[in-house]
Amino acid sequence: MKKILNDPYEYVDEMLAGLTAAHPQYYALAGDDRRVIARADAPVAGKVGLVSGGGSGHLPIFTGYVGPGLLDACAIGDVFASPSVDQVADAMRAADGGAGVLSVYGNYGGDVMNFDMAAEMLEFEDVQTATVLLRDDVASAGPQEAERRRGVAGMVYAFKIAGAAADTRVDLAEVTRLAQKAADACRSVGAALTPCVVPQAGVPTFEIGEDEMEMGMGIHGEPGMWRGKLKAADEIANEMVDRLLEDKPVAAGAQVSPLVNSLGATPPEELYILYRVVATRLGEAGAQIVMPLVGRYATSMEMTGVSLTFCHLDDELAPLLQAPAACAFWRV
Amino acid sequence: MTGQLTADTLRRAIDRLAPHLESVAADLNEADARLGDGDLGITMTKGARQLRAVAGELGDDVGAALMICARAFTKGGGSSYGTLVATGLMTAAKTCRGKRTVDWTAISGLLDAAVAAMADRGGASLGDKTVLDAIDATARALEDLDDPAAMTEAAIVATDDTLDRYRDRPNRVGRARMFRAEARATGPWSPRAS
Repeated sequence: MKKILNDPYEYVDEMLAGLTAAHPQYYALAGDDRRVIARADAPVAGKVGLVSGGGSGHLPIFTGYVGPGLLDACAIGDVFASPSVDQVADAMRAADGGAGVLSVYGNYGGDVMNFDMAAEMLEFEDVQTATVLLRDDVASAGPQEAERRRGVAGMVYAFKIAGAAADTRVDLAEVTRLAQKAADACRSVGAALTPCVVPQAGVPTFEIGEDEMEMGMGIHGEPGMWRGKLKAADEIANEMVDRLLEDKPVAAGAQVSPLVNSLGATPPEELYILYRVVATRLGEAGAQIVMPLVGRYATSMEMTGVSLTFCHLDDELAPLLQAPAACAFWRV
Repeated sequence: MTGQLTADTLRRAIDRLAPHLESVAADLNEADARLGDGDLGITMTKGARQLRAVAGELGDDVGAALMICARAFTKGGGSSYGTLVATGLMTAAKTCRGKRTVDWTAISGLLDAAVAAMADRGGASLGDKTVLDAIDATARALEDLDDPAAMTEAAIVATDDTLDRYRDRPNRVGRARMFRAEARATGPWSPRAS
């Protein structure tokens, strides 16, 4: 497999240099290690600061979603590697506008440890902190072990809803409540057709046959539920919808926002082929579709594959999802 | 009682500890390489250099000074052992926050709290043959002592005793299991108390 790069060890720093050069109206480099991206106007005084972070390799997650109505700052690790405690603490400091800092990120052990330690440091500096973890990947653990699930594309909804909540200037406890409600409202499942290459490793993250797919694979190539012959698009879409509705059924008339997401290499054309089944099935279930998202929102480098997320909304969450927000990758 | 622990005690400790950590780095790397990835000496050398760099900035607040020391072990990140050391120091920092002096008799309790926090973060228990066992033994040995010289001697004896006691016991946690983050990884078993 081929990649466009220079020194693999400079991959992330060079990416960040380009990102900030291209979109200075949204992104500014911050932190001692220059591994924090903050809003160009951060910190916003009096607003709860919203922070995320994790490994590189998932753009627009995490860094891309820094902007008005979204995140205030983000700590960026190497590809698929957690940012350090210090980098996370620097992101929290960059986001702190005096009303406390909420961290919203995926449930991965390394990230949890580093964010927890960084939060302890900030508490020592008299900054209030809170945490909401995304655990939306239904393939990563059964419903009885839902607290062990990993966070995937559902993060997009949590960032958006938490960002909109923070913009209304409610306090840290209220932003945290709404962010947690958004996180709890999301269910996701992914399917991969090909692996990706982590620059510093230089080899594919896993091997898979030319004619095979893996249902339930995580965004770092974590093992899924089954591996077998590549199925037709409609079969894939139907199985994903089945798995999500089985885990969290939708009541007739309930609002749902679906996200059909490319894991990197899968083109929009194929996402729309899948979306048509998703829309039909949600309609049959009696759901009212709100703000469907189709595109590249949470990726795994050049992995071929898709993920489907349902965000179950109500009259409190839906307006927050649809409130104005902007970053280089997404505008609402 | 021979005085109390102050930020200046920490400054003087760094002056002695940093060169010592650097001088044993090669041995630590070699010991770690037998069962792990061989970077323990590198981790401690990096920490020692950071400690030297911040020694002049410790101020008077013992808690704040301990927090600065904790950060010395999180700089650069990546090392699980560095994170554990920082965890222990941060726990002590919180207890000592706002204090310009700490009684020597408080050290045992600070070590107990550090062991609890490190066990929680690292997912290891006492008896698993990790550094926690040596720290716990030291905490027990320091109970009720208030003379720094006697305490240093007691800590050395307790640590040596722990090493002897655990030498032939099996390791109950591997380095790959030291952190929940790496729970899926499989790797050789590492004697953390070595």
